[in-house]
Amino acid sequence: MKRRDFLKFIGIGGVGAGAGFVLGKVSKPPGAKLIPYLIPPEDIVPGVATWYASVCTLCGAGCGTLVRVMEGRAKKVEGNPGHPVNRGGLCALGQSSVQALYNPDRITKPLKRKGPRGSGEYAEITWDEALKTLAGNLTELKSKNESEKLHLLASPLGGTIDRLAGEFVSAFGSSNYSHYGLFQRKNLAFANLSAMGTASVPHYDIENTKYLLSFGADFASTWVSPVNYSNGYGKMRQGAGERGKLVQVEPRLSLTGASADEWVPAKPGTEALLALAIANTIVEKGLARDASAWRGVLSRYKAKDAASVCDVSVERIEAMAVEFARTRPSLAIAGDSVSSYENGVSGAIAVNILNQVAGNIGIIGGVMPNGDDLGNGKKIDFGRKISTLISAANAGKIKTLIVYGANPVFTTPKAARLEEALSKVPFIASFSSFMDETTAHADIILPAHTSLEDWGDDFPDPGVAAPVASLIQPVVGPVFDTKSLGDIFIELAKAVGGNVAGKINAPNFAEYLKASWKGLYSRNREMAAGTLGFEDFWNKALQRGGWWGPSRKRTATVSARAGEHLAGTPARFEGEEAQYPFYLIPYAQTAYMDGRGANLPWLQELPDPMTSVVWGTWVEINPKTAASLGLKEGDMVNIESPFGKISAPVYLYPGIRPDTVAVPIGQGHSHYGRYAKGRGANPIEILPFKEDPLSGEAALNSTRVRITRGATGERMVKMEGSTKELGRGIVQTVSPSEFKRMKKEVV
Amino acid sequence: MPGFLERIAGKLKSYREPGYYTKLDHKWTMVIDLDKCNGCEACVVACYAENNLPVVGKEQCEKSRAFSWLRIERYVEGEYPDVKVKFIPVMCQHCMKAPCETGCPVYATYHNQDGLNVQVYNRCVGTFTCATYCTYDVRRFNWFTYKWPKPLEAQLNPDVSVREMGVMEKCTFCIQRIRSAKDTAKDEARPVKDGDIKPACSQSCPTGAIYFGDMQDPESVVAKLAKSPRRYRLLEELNADPSVIYLKRVMGDGTSSHE
Amino acid sequence: MKKLILYAVVGGIAFVIGYFVNDQFFSDRAPVQPINFSHKIHAGDNQIPCQYCHIYAERSRVSGVPNVKRCMGCHQIIKTDSPEIQKVASYWDKKEPIPWVKVYNLPDHVYFPHKRHVRAGVDCKNCHGDVASMARIEKVSSLQMGWCLSCHTKREVKNGRDCWTCHK
Repeated sequence: MKRRDFLKFIGIGGVGAGAGFVLGKVSKPPGAKLIPYLIPPEDIVPGVATWYASVCTLCGAGCGTLVRVMEGRAKKVEGNPGHPVNRGGLCALGQSSVQALYNPDRITKPLKRKGPRGSGEYAEITWDEALKTLAGNLTELKSKNESEKLHLLASPLGGTIDRLAGEFVSAFGSSNYSHYGLFQRKNLAFANLSAMGTASVPHYDIENTKYLLSFGADFASTWVSPVNYSNGYGKMRQGAGERGKLVQVEPRLSLTGASADEWVPAKPGTEALLALAIANTIVEKGLARDASAWRGVLSRYKAKDAASVCDVSVERIEAMAVEFARTRPSLAIAGDSVSSYENGVSGAIAVNILNQVAGNIGIIGGVMPNGDDLGNGKKIDFGRKISTLISAANAGKIKTLIVYGANPVFTTPKAARLEEALSKVPFIASFSSFMDETTAHADIILPAHTSLEDWGDDFPDPGVAAPVASLIQPVVGPVFDTKSLGDIFIELAKAVGGNVAGKINAPNFAEYLKASWKGLYSRNREMAAGTLGFEDFWNKALQRGGWWGPSRKRTATVSARAGEHLAGTPARFEGEEAQYPFYLIPYAQTAYMDGRGANLPWLQELPDPMTSVVWGTWVEINPKTAASLGLKEGDMVNIESPFGKISAPVYLYPGIRPDTVAVPIGQGHSHYGRYAKGRGANPIEILPFKEDPLSGEAALNSTRVRITRGATGERMVKMEGSTKELGRGIVQTVSPSEFKRMKKEVV
Repeated sequence: MPGFLERIAGKLKSYREPGYYTKLDHKWTMVIDLDKCNGCEACVVACYAENNLPVVGKEQCEKSRAFSWLRIERYVEGEYPDVKVKFIPVMCQHCMKAPCETGCPVYATYHNQDGLNVQVYNRCVGTFTCATYCTYDVRRFNWFTYKWPKPLEAQLNPDVSVREMGVMEKCTFCIQRIRSAKDTAKDEARPVKDGDIKPACSQSCPTGAIYFGDMQDPESVVAKLAKSPRRYRLLEELNADPSVIYLKRVMGDGTSSHE
Repeated sequence: MKKLILYAVVGGIAFVIGYFVNDQFFSDRAPVQPINFSHKIHAGDNQIPCQYCHIYAERSRVSGVPNVKRCMGCHQIIKTDSPEIQKVASYWDKKEPIPWVKVYNLPDHVYFPHKRHVRAGVDCKNCHGDVASMARIEKVSSLQMGWCLSCHTKREVKNGRDCWTCHK
């Protein structure tokens, strides 16, 4: 080796070693800190998880939850195995509530509007200023003797917070407190009120039924109380007894329909007539158990007339009628394909009659009416519709509007002209924790806690034919500078003063809630059993997630008076068939529900169970229809109704009638955070503004549309490869008869 | 041959002996009743929440880089109006003769004494071999280091590593829950009982379609269910001996397409 | 060309050596703490048992740094005139936790439960050394996998060599 080379090697070696040393030095993690507690919280052991019982509030079902908390952070929300509503399960939406809690797009502080309304430009203010501003506005209203011009619009709240909000509004001197949600199930409640005397959804005992006839009830995804019904469904299929059967009547095969044994794709709008024809066939064939009151009314609905209207053969109607009446117990449930029309009440009543005729009411495995067991007197005010709010705003009858939880700007059609009406309201306050489309119109925002940070309670509606009272407790400290919803009302009452402060004189909502439960405890003897007084009861309820009593059997009869609400004709769809050839079915999808799930990243990336599409909207079209229109999958189309136009990519879906197209609800947000904003399209925009005149529930299936090519927009991304098994035997099946022969397995 | 080489050779040979893998402490098994499953995907979100799975966004989803360790496959047969739809949850099948284990050049994936097919993140160098060998397409690769915007990262489960770029991952049967159940059992000086362990998917399932337990315990629910005449395993003819047992869906026409 | 490869190889080897030297011999094994706390006085001279302060060691995966309230429990009375104790008191008065510097730091992908080791009768000394004689705490174990495994092997821990016993 030459001397020169040797030196070169030494040089390179030196530089290399030096570089290695330096890299080692800089890449070394900085001395990690070990931060002790100042005072150790009693219920926290670092490194060991604590579980708190609470209630999921992302939909109205009221599933009990257990929240896993480690070092003061919520890690996971699971179903509470002891809770009678969900018995341990929890749906995709409910489990994502931690992402609502830790959402990066939450409103972190009280805000005051800076830019023009709807622009979303706000300046941060303090809570003192926010409360003072709103209280000042209210006092001014009061001093001008315009108390009645305060409106409070909230999501369908229940329990004590609902009472507090109601007390606040009435003490202030206004009677305008209304609830609004896209899926309030008011049609079902009204049908039950007129038929059975209680304005609540009964308990559908799916677990024990042997023949479930579902009129578009998509309980596998979002319908009413999905986890409760799904739990029942599992037991109905593979429980202790014989395997139950599921028949689904709907124009678009829903997630639940996908699990059905039979799919009856009746023509949209005629399903209620089908229900009545089935009931009439049962009566005519002498299979009815209790039809005395209904013989006359039903005789108008002959199976052969219905067959042509509904696009279901006479034989099939008769076969369904016989099987429905003979199988014991059977159960019909009124889902979206009877209750989402302009005459939804009529459809729900038709299903009630069907249950009555087959003798399914008040029996195990049938319809089990719920009563007001705990005397918390929940009631639905059918007169308070979103249309009354709009006309009041237009007439200048609303000076101050407070919104909480409801997002009507997103969930009402453009035809309702809600935004125009809101512009006539001089002052809008929102208590929302998220910048949704309605909150974006607010002049001032007082962000409330999410339910994982707040106190509360819940009396599940629909109940489970047993008294249930669940408690919501804060499982973590507030993540941002938000306040408990109850505390906002209480502090506002104090700031307004006068008789409002006099009426609501609790120090904070936690105390108010406890006092309310003390009343509940003293009214209900059953609660005292096995407890050493109220404090003991309260602690046990906090531990268990609430209190629930034994099942109560009630019965009811669908009275003949309900017949006066029967429409007797198919529901109407706007738009001429020649111009607008397709029925539009906007439906609630597993993840987004009415749009509230769209800001949660897990749910955006959750493939839709039927189409596997992620992060966007799509329109489902029958492959034959698409072929006739010259469309292939992924093509961008305009969906045009007489009321507007949206665009979405085509998904070829064999499970839909050729004369129908379907679009999921939930995307198309103009606000609502980074995950939701500017993604997909909102089918509600192009609907006519129709409400059931009796109940006030919005009619979602109410317009025809035409499909035209050539729109531009977002690509469709789906996670599936093929929808075919290609002979690989991936999902193997056995026939029901084969199954009967097999030995019943032990569980 | 020197002594230490002989020892190593002997050890390697013992791994190849039939029955080596049957001497297990437990044989964790999942039974999924397809007649109960209604495809609601609660299990998918439960898995995301429990196992710190990142959300990758639309563009990455389009490249099939979504992280779902557990997916619901949906198959559609027939044409309108005779459409039949079938669901099946598919996750790592924890094969007893796993093809992926034979491929890894660094032994980052292997079979452990609980009958689990496990993946060691800090050993993985990201050759993608296991994912290529996998019969069930259940392995997921970290193409990037994914970060949650603040404060979403507060949700991350401290019992599960947050993986970084270049690492392969897959369903673990919620091994952290198995570990914690064993830990509790040890504290109480008893063996692990049937029902002590519920993976996140099984815990969340609204219909109760997913069962989990030890196949070596003849009294366990899974051992009993595994005797069901409806039992089958996914692509059984490939002889990977999966630990997930499916119970056939009871369905209309009853054409068992694979008999 | 051949020479270039040779240079690269030599450079590479030197680089690794440099990195390793830094890692092994230039780590701060006994970092300066915000308070000059002496285990020698507490655990040595005064014979306070470890778990009197590290209260979670038997119940949790972490042993727990003593909370400030626990320090003040004694030091409201004892040696209140010492300047170091006054530092502790000032943290307490400011309602601030003491930012101790971590000496035994395990990477994120390791699951190490103190609880299992304490309950198995492993003496704290086994890993943390003779703390009772240290004026300032000093890292005495490498905390490398081989070090863990040597003990697991020696003690014949059940499944003690399985990856997923300690990794997560």
